[in-house]
Amino acid sequence: MTILQARGITKRYGGLLALSDINLKVEAGQFVAVIGPNGAGKSTLLNVLTGLVFPDSGEVQIEGKSITRAATHARIRAGLGRTFQHGRIFTRLSVLENVMTGAAIRRDLSEAQLRERSMAILESMGLAAEAEMAIGSLSYGQRRMVELCRALACEPRVLLLDEPAAGLNSGEVDQLVDRLTALRAAQQLAIVLIEHNMGMVMRLAERILVLNFGEGIAEGTPAEIQSDPAVLAAYLGEGYTHVGV
Amino acid sequence: MRIPLALAFGIFAIGLVLSAFLSDYNLRLLNLSVIAAVAVIGLNFAFGYAGLISLSHAAFVGMGAYGVAILTTKFGWLPWLAVPVAIGITVVFSALIGFPLLRLRGHYLALATLGLNVAFYIVATNWIELTGGTNGIARIPELSFLGYPLADERSFLWFGLGVLGVLAAGASLIHRSRYGRAMMAVRDDEIASEMTGINTTVVKIAAFALAAGCAAVAGCLFAFHVRFVAPEDFNYAHSITYLAMLIVGGEGSIVGAILGAIVLTFLPEWLRFLGTAYLAFFGLLMLGILIFLPTGIVGLGRFLPWRRPKRPAAILGVRSTEVSS
Amino acid sequence: MADFIQLFINGLAIGSVYALAAIGFIIVYSATGVVNFAAGQFVMFGTFAGVAALMNFGMPWPVGYAVSLAAMAVFGALFFLLIYLPLRKSAVLTIIIGTVAIGITMQNAAQLTFGSWPFRLPSPLEGIMVDIGGAVIAAHALAVVVVTGVMIALLWLLFYRTSVGIGMRAVAQDVQAARLMGLNVNRLLALSWILAAVLAGVAGLMLGPMWFADVSMGDPIALKAFAATIIGGFGSLPGAIAGGLFVGLTEVLGASYISSAYKDLIAFGIMILFLLVRPQGVFGERIQDRG
Repeated sequence: MTILQARGITKRYGGLLALSDINLKVEAGQFVAVIGPNGAGKSTLLNVLTGLVFPDSGEVQIEGKSITRAATHARIRAGLGRTFQHGRIFTRLSVLENVMTGAAIRRDLSEAQLRERSMAILESMGLAAEAEMAIGSLSYGQRRMVELCRALACEPRVLLLDEPAAGLNSGEVDQLVDRLTALRAAQQLAIVLIEHNMGMVMRLAERILVLNFGEGIAEGTPAEIQSDPAVLAAYLGEGYTHVGV
Repeated sequence: MRIPLALAFGIFAIGLVLSAFLSDYNLRLLNLSVIAAVAVIGLNFAFGYAGLISLSHAAFVGMGAYGVAILTTKFGWLPWLAVPVAIGITVVFSALIGFPLLRLRGHYLALATLGLNVAFYIVATNWIELTGGTNGIARIPELSFLGYPLADERSFLWFGLGVLGVLAAGASLIHRSRYGRAMMAVRDDEIASEMTGINTTVVKIAAFALAAGCAAVAGCLFAFHVRFVAPEDFNYAHSITYLAMLIVGGEGSIVGAILGAIVLTFLPEWLRFLGTAYLAFFGLLMLGILIFLPTGIVGLGRFLPWRRPKRPAAILGVRSTEVSS
Repeated sequence: MADFIQLFINGLAIGSVYALAAIGFIIVYSATGVVNFAAGQFVMFGTFAGVAALMNFGMPWPVGYAVSLAAMAVFGALFFLLIYLPLRKSAVLTIIIGTVAIGITMQNAAQLTFGSWPFRLPSPLEGIMVDIGGAVIAAHALAVVVVTGVMIALLWLLFYRTSVGIGMRAVAQDVQAARLMGLNVNRLLALSWILAAVLAGVAGLMLGPMWFADVSMGDPIALKAFAATIIGGFGSLPGAIAGGLFVGLTEVLGASYISSAYKDLIAFGIMILFLLVRPQGVFGERIQDRG
């Protein structure tokens, strides 16, 4: 069943066409990647999906329900989740408290239950030892992980990840890939991944959408995308001859 | 539940001990400190937790004070009936005006709330039929607690400390709850808060209304202590004083709010020996504290050997500017 | 009609003073991001510099005015060194309270020096009246409007035709980029404060003869200057001018035609309305999420 659907999304900023008639469809439990050169409109698409920005035309639906003009917090309650490029964490709260603000989306849970759930998530991500620490004492990779834990605590049906591997070393990236794989196996969690790290994208994605200059130029499986001439031209420029591999 | 109760008990105990041997003059100052502390605990919600720069706090104190004053003197209401009504009107008003106002941030919000306070002052000074204008309202009746009239400084102090203790305990409960965390999240990063399912508009209005409610309580205490209200007591200079108390004591901290209130109530008195120059000195001192002690008095607690917090404690706050990414 | 002309020109005169105070305030805000809550006390200092130079020391007009403005320039430089530099990295609220604290100190210092009783600062055009369309206008009021116009023209020349002024505008837009271009950012920031202080000084010298010179005159002026900048548009110089004139006219005309008691409420009411409906004011740009 389709969890998240965006149809005909168009967004202009003055003279700049940031997104032009973009379509995205995510099934339950599916892993979709959105790639493209810098400035292609990937983050704008995420902003439209999460409600930080309203499109000029087009529709966004979650489980068939229209959320095109819904407030951001309402979308989160409807099952959307998101992490940010470079991460956005609450620096005044401890690690555990950060995750608990996400868990608090469940108004029916008691304080003790919130704590329990949040600790469980931290444990599954290997951060149990750091639970009571202040954010300032964590490494960059750990902070990104805390943000992910917080997003998971909101019990999303579809999780939007904005360049989660940016700034991570290769060991941390591998760890992230393992964790995301484990997550998908454990829950019916759909993931939309924006990334530049092609190794990660090819390992994880079931379908890939390629954007360039605000337009969708290709969509398909990793194998299809890797040999798509339009994609190669976008990344490597015209005049590139693809020698089949 | 242990910490909030300990806090309330501690406040009451210390105050009780002090009240035994202080002179009437100092007791009066202590009473004024307690009233200010009630107001500043409220301001701590709006600013310390939610990050809203409110320069209209004194106006809300004034609404509570004028509320009980008008209801008891002009309409002959009983004090204990007037109190909840005055507080209720202030809270409702703050929520209504918060709705459009809180879309603003930073110094825009500061200026808008400043305008609100100035507007309050102008209305209080000019709507003579209701407020008595610059002459104010006098002969506010005495407040009695459980049949015991609060006729002197000492008995009023016990009552005030009780109110302060209850509010401080309540504030501590909120701080440690999901509502407190939500407020602090909103201050830290509004966009990330929305992305965590927090309705930032509701949180900000709630923090603002909560602050206004505490201010109204302080206003009621003021009215029944001094038994006379005038516009001068609620002008924007007082709003700035409340903010200064919060900063000096340590924002985001309940103990800080109380300490700041006490210090900035007593400091002008201690500086009186400087004669007419005391305001200048006071201003310079404030400046010095802001430059050299940005985390306020409670921030000094960092240097105590047993206070190396791995996590931000509920009572002693930690400023966000200290931890940078 | 004659009444209206008189009120109108008086409103323009007061509005010009507010405009100058607002311009100084905006220059500092644009360059440094600081909302200077002591802006009113700056104007008050200007007035009292005039009181000291012209009344206490009995200097002739040109010398007295020049000395006053020089003193204000020095004050601006000192303010930059002793107040701005230590506070520049602090949070918004800390700076607000810091400037309020220094405003309190300034007011008290003036009170210690000059006492609490208001002075009457005379004008070189004292007693000279002009007839315009049947209305009797003080020449001083007209001079205020003219002088303000000249100051604005000079400012335009400074900002758009001199390298120093262009440098100040660069710093106002992007401090890092300005640094990378080799501009001496600290010197330009100091110049912003000095310029703001001198403008406040001019405002104070012109205001003195129209009102009284009173150590507590700072706060009402600051409030009007804030309202002016909000209504005109917060980062904008034309906005500060338009806003200042608007507030001055509203005050004078409002006092006469609507109500003298509530005249201030009208200006603040409009300010709040703008904040709620159109926070960027008339000329300002869309507000970005600052901080």
